[in-house]
Amino acid sequence: MGLSQRVLTLYDQPMWDSIEQQRFALQHCDDCATVRYPPGPICPHCLSLAASWKPLSGRATILSWVVFHRQYFDDFPPPYNSVAVQIAEGPIVVSNLIGDEPDGSWIGAEVEFVYRRQGERMQHAVRLLRSGPVAGGSDQTAP
Amino acid sequence: MAERDLAKVAAVVGVGHSDWIGDHARVRAGGKPHDSNGYGAVAFREALADAGIDRSEIDGLIVGPTTSYERIGELLGLNVRWGGQADAMLGIIEACMAIRSGLAEVVALVYGNDQRSAAISYGGAEAMGGNMFLSYVYHAPWGFTSQGALYAMMFRRYMELEGLTEAELGEVAVAQRLAASKNPNALMRKPITVEDYLNSAYICEPLHLFDYCLINDGGVALIVAEAGRAKRMSARSVPIHGVGRSDLNAGATSLEPRLFDYYRPAQQQAAEQVFAMAGAGPSEMSALQVYDSFSCHIPLALEGYGYCRTGEAGRFMREHGISLAKGLPVNTSGGHLSESYMQGWNHQVEAVRQMRGECGARQVPDCRFVHYSSDVAGKAVSIIYGK
Repeated sequence: MGLSQRVLTLYDQPMWDSIEQQRFALQHCDDCATVRYPPGPICPHCLSLAASWKPLSGRATILSWVVFHRQYFDDFPPPYNSVAVQIAEGPIVVSNLIGDEPDGSWIGAEVEFVYRRQGERMQHAVRLLRSGPVAGGSDQTAP
Repeated sequence: MAERDLAKVAAVVGVGHSDWIGDHARVRAGGKPHDSNGYGAVAFREALADAGIDRSEIDGLIVGPTTSYERIGELLGLNVRWGGQADAMLGIIEACMAIRSGLAEVVALVYGNDQRSAAISYGGAEAMGGNMFLSYVYHAPWGFTSQGALYAMMFRRYMELEGLTEAELGEVAVAQRLAASKNPNALMRKPITVEDYLNSAYICEPLHLFDYCLINDGGVALIVAEAGRAKRMSARSVPIHGVGRSDLNAGATSLEPRLFDYYRPAQQQAAEQVFAMAGAGPSEMSALQVYDSFSCHIPLALEGYGYCRTGEAGRFMREHGISLAKGLPVNTSGGHLSESYMQGWNHQVEAVRQMRGECGARQVPDCRFVHYSSDVAGKAVSIIYGK
């Protein structure tokens, strides 16, 4: 089956370095301010090659979610969720919601990025804003 | 533009496929009847026989994405003056273009896939297609993998915002299984009910087992010829009346066109093109074939191609109907969910057979047009077959 793997192109490495430091950063276009996700060599909006890595606000809104009931990776025993969140800076990022879950629909719930270890790598997850203490998350680290 | 379009430039003169049922049984018993090349070769022999032509008439060759162009040409002894590699839907459009331009007159399209016996995985650490579609592998660190999960994420949002229920989505699997029950070539022929659907396990919630396509070995081949020559070759030729295409690439990996638009803009543009070229609209289509790797392709296509209004697919499926029993017949062979997962190729065979009136118990009466559509990864392609 195998472990989950990152895609690590030339452009992805700085993002993963920022996540390792628990300061999730993405490229901001120097010319039009569009934020790139996934990281890449050019701004799809204005075709500028110039960009600067800047930390994100860490705020996002849930657009959709799924719950896996089948196992695809050794390090992801089901059931577990994946969420698609729109970050305050614009792009959609896929992550995992940890801690409390919304009652009913998750869409529109406001979340913040937190960090946790997945095997040997640090990666982001999201947690509901204005929720109580996080349950069952002994391996996560608050930002 | 009209004189340069692709309407009735070409017609399908032959269709063929491997023994899906027999091979599936052999594979499940641990056998390996063929590799991808072998399945394609079996299908080509069938298509050639169905067309009733000699191999020497073929002067163009398109092979599917799963096999080598040269090796298929070598195996089938085909030296041609034009060729290439494409999926089912783009292969047909390219054949029409080659015929229109005079680069070829009789094009063989050959597809074979040993995905089941080769244990191809569409999710997990070895997910197929990640080299072509970054979204298939990019989100793996969060356990988010498989094309089913991508559609589950997309359709969960649609269900929540538009109020489509799981029972309404279940209409797709039920309707297609009904069609498959009348199709001697279909792998899954036991009828199911919406209750069966709701009781089936989730794979990636909100999608159930019955929302997922089959994974099986097989091959399909088509012979497409210049329209005038097609008529001389075969009394059963089926002209292609229109094609359409529109691709969404911007934001594909971060899922914007999936989650914000459900690929609707691409479908609407492809619809506008294909219906204009065919000179007919949705109300004139006798049947609809939709690329259904997952059931949720169907409600989204119904809206995107204008068969019902935006946000009304759930009610349309439940009240108007999408089956051979009621309403608009959709995926009349059983499709990928219940007939065979031939990545859009078997839908072309079914469209041709419906137009010819060869479908027996599942025949749509008075078939005038059959519309095919796909929206794989936001690449909307549409083909209309007619008289």
